[in-house]
Amino acid sequence: MQLVKTITNECLHYEKLANGLPVMILPKKGYQKKYAVFAVRYGSLDSQFEVAGKGVVKVPDGIAHFLEHKLFEDEAVPVFERFAKFGASVNAYTSYSMTAYLFSTIDYFPEALRELLHFVQNPYLTEENVAKERGIIEQELNMYDDHPDRRIYRNLLNALYHRHPIRLDVGGTIASIREITVELLWECYRLFYQPANMALAVVGDVEPGEVLDIVGLQMEGWHDQGQEVKRLLPDEPETVNQPMIEQRMSISQPRCYLGFKHSKNLTGQALLIQQLAMNMIWHSLAARSSPVFASLYDSGLINDSFEAGFHASPQYAFSMVGGETDEPHKLDQALKEAIARLKQNQLSGEQVERMKHHILGSYLAAFNSLDYLANSLISHLFHGTSYLDVPDVLANLSVDTINQYLDEAFEPHQSAVSILTPEQ
Amino acid sequence: MDFVHHKIAEGVNLYLYETNKFATVTVKVFVQDSLAPETVAANALIPTVLIQGTKSYPTRMSLVQKMESLYGCVLGADIDKIGERQIMEFYFDVVTPDLIPNGKQVFREGLAAFGELITDPLVEDGAFRKDYFQKEKINLAKMVDGLINDKQAYAVWQAVKAMCKDEPFGLYKYGERNQIEQLEPQAVYDHYRRLLQSNPIDIFAVGPSLENLPELISLWPWQRTALNELSQVSVREDIREQELHEKQDMQQAILVMGYRTAQRYLSPDYYGLLVANGILGAFPHSKLFINVRERASLAYYVNSSLEGSKGLLTVNAGIAPQTYGQAVDIIRRQVAELQNGSITDDELLRTKMGLISGIRKMLDDPGSIIDRNLIGIVHEELRSPQTVMDRIASVTKEQVQEAAQGLKLDTIYCLSGQKGEA
Repeated sequence: MQLVKTITNECLHYEKLANGLPVMILPKKGYQKKYAVFAVRYGSLDSQFEVAGKGVVKVPDGIAHFLEHKLFEDEAVPVFERFAKFGASVNAYTSYSMTAYLFSTIDYFPEALRELLHFVQNPYLTEENVAKERGIIEQELNMYDDHPDRRIYRNLLNALYHRHPIRLDVGGTIASIREITVELLWECYRLFYQPANMALAVVGDVEPGEVLDIVGLQMEGWHDQGQEVKRLLPDEPETVNQPMIEQRMSISQPRCYLGFKHSKNLTGQALLIQQLAMNMIWHSLAARSSPVFASLYDSGLINDSFEAGFHASPQYAFSMVGGETDEPHKLDQALKEAIARLKQNQLSGEQVERMKHHILGSYLAAFNSLDYLANSLISHLFHGTSYLDVPDVLANLSVDTINQYLDEAFEPHQSAVSILTPEQ
Repeated sequence: MDFVHHKIAEGVNLYLYETNKFATVTVKVFVQDSLAPETVAANALIPTVLIQGTKSYPTRMSLVQKMESLYGCVLGADIDKIGERQIMEFYFDVVTPDLIPNGKQVFREGLAAFGELITDPLVEDGAFRKDYFQKEKINLAKMVDGLINDKQAYAVWQAVKAMCKDEPFGLYKYGERNQIEQLEPQAVYDHYRRLLQSNPIDIFAVGPSLENLPELISLWPWQRTALNELSQVSVREDIREQELHEKQDMQQAILVMGYRTAQRYLSPDYYGLLVANGILGAFPHSKLFINVRERASLAYYVNSSLEGSKGLLTVNAGIAPQTYGQAVDIIRRQVAELQNGSITDDELLRTKMGLISGIRKMLDDPGSIIDRNLIGIVHEELRSPQTVMDRIASVTKEQVQEAAQGLKLDTIYCLSGQKGEA
């Protein structure tokens, strides 16, 4: 077992099991709750891949998310009820690049952990329960469609990307989920749900040795049979698909988001550096401490919904900035000008120092949140980085490096705008 | 363990919760007022005006820059509504002193800015700054208009508003556009001064080494006069069933069913009601989830929630428009099951476990440790986590049934698309 000290003087225990499964345990003394995430490096972007000896396989979009729903089926007792018996609550989510199954509990942690590992290892798929699930997922997709936040975001990604599957909702489309069959679900399950392609994180007042014993027993007989799978992404041009998507919707005020696609898909430490640098760049433009925010707010062009963010994994990287505004085209223009000005002036040492304080403080405060810690440990591991490296990488990040990112990002031909306006 | 009480001044109470568990120190200040049409919009506006700048850091930019340099201190303000009270909430979060360089200094500077923001606000000619005030009026009015963007929140609020049309609870916690537009900087500032002088103020802090807080907070410029009596919640007796439909351009339909409860926070059998709501719709094992979603595949989400001060239980479901009638029937049937006492031992046990776990989980989060007391300060009866857990554990099936029999359906509301049939 490998031990790594956190900046809060706690200790992360890391072990790679014989079957290849990485296990991370972060004991948190005095906490009531115990939280576990069992995740697979398999998300909505993985709908095309090359399997050794089988060639290229294309499966319907939304299948990772569909599988996530279906793993909650059990022949005898529904999975939700199995956890409720222990007072535990179980949940799951699918993102672009991973699927995570998680629970939190106070009592019966060993029992709940066994349940978690068991149900993810034992799918129960029938024609009937797969057919029923389509109805539930259709409702879910329709619900998102009514949500302006989701709509403007989806439109922006459609404007930025020509072919990349990030264009689509994680759940796929109503048409694509109709093509999902029991056989396809099994095929994807067998390809991706292999120990070496998964990870387990446990955070709470637990004994690492005991946790590893439980996991070891539950993993007996589970060997990695993963065939080599190469994820394929369609060739995505550098330029955007269309510079602007404008739609009407029943909302109270127009909204405008400006997005940029970034061509560099990084992994490991380079990805972490990119994330910190890009976050600081956006912070300097859009945070409440920013003179750009202040002037846009004072002029009445934006309100407190204004936000910006950088989103990246080894498979994609994009940024978006915007919010509600009465004059979407004027805001688009003002944002482009602000970015051009920032590129010219660059970030100052003083500014970067202050942001480093801020980011370090937020990083420390996040140690209050078991859920956030467990999910961050896993997503960093899947990205080839370590969540515990953040303070060091942050401290060593130079103003020059950040300004270099500022120089290279935000090319006009890589930007697009998504606008929603109220129906008349 | 629970909070230790210190009296700061007449009607100003401080509660301290010492713990080394967290990476932060959290302080929250709650200023209460009666929920009333004359003051609802002013109370909603005040927090947003206050965070635009303080005497020492007169712009939001300079204030937030200062907080960032103090290792990401968080200063904020919002408005809550509990029963028929409106509560201004001010919050302050800072990394614990031992985790950062000059931690004690960081804490003192952050806390001083927080105290100044609340008790010694930025003024101009004895009133709120006009430019900030006007801008925030516009933003607040737009935010109120923006409720319609979140269909689910909109639908739940329309149902409650229709239900409590002639009661203070039917006032939106951020006020209405016409109320906001009438606000003036002088009158609103004078109103805030009165709140600071005479309304109940409760301050909660969670973190390590809080021993200096009573003294530090006593030094804030409180100018307390006689304590204001706030209004008690109104209870409606003549309940009639009404059904309302609203159409908007949307795919899905949102169904809300509002019930009045016979018990409230101070009722001796309140915890029977809490458990009844749990069995009905607060958990994935609840009757609604199992019957509406799992068995009938009618909804992506369905749940019930309880407002224990006013005494409202609302069921909320996202459904396909054509299944409206079927969904209403199934929901009614689940309530009837509770009223007939058809409750399994398993349902009772799991629900109690779920509720008790929920309380214990709150103890892992500083904000929740504080916020669970809001209902207590409104009713002037704080209950420790242990007390609440003991009372939940002792609830019997008969008490659940009795509480369920007190549920009276008041309003069925459905928001759906133009093309949907309902």
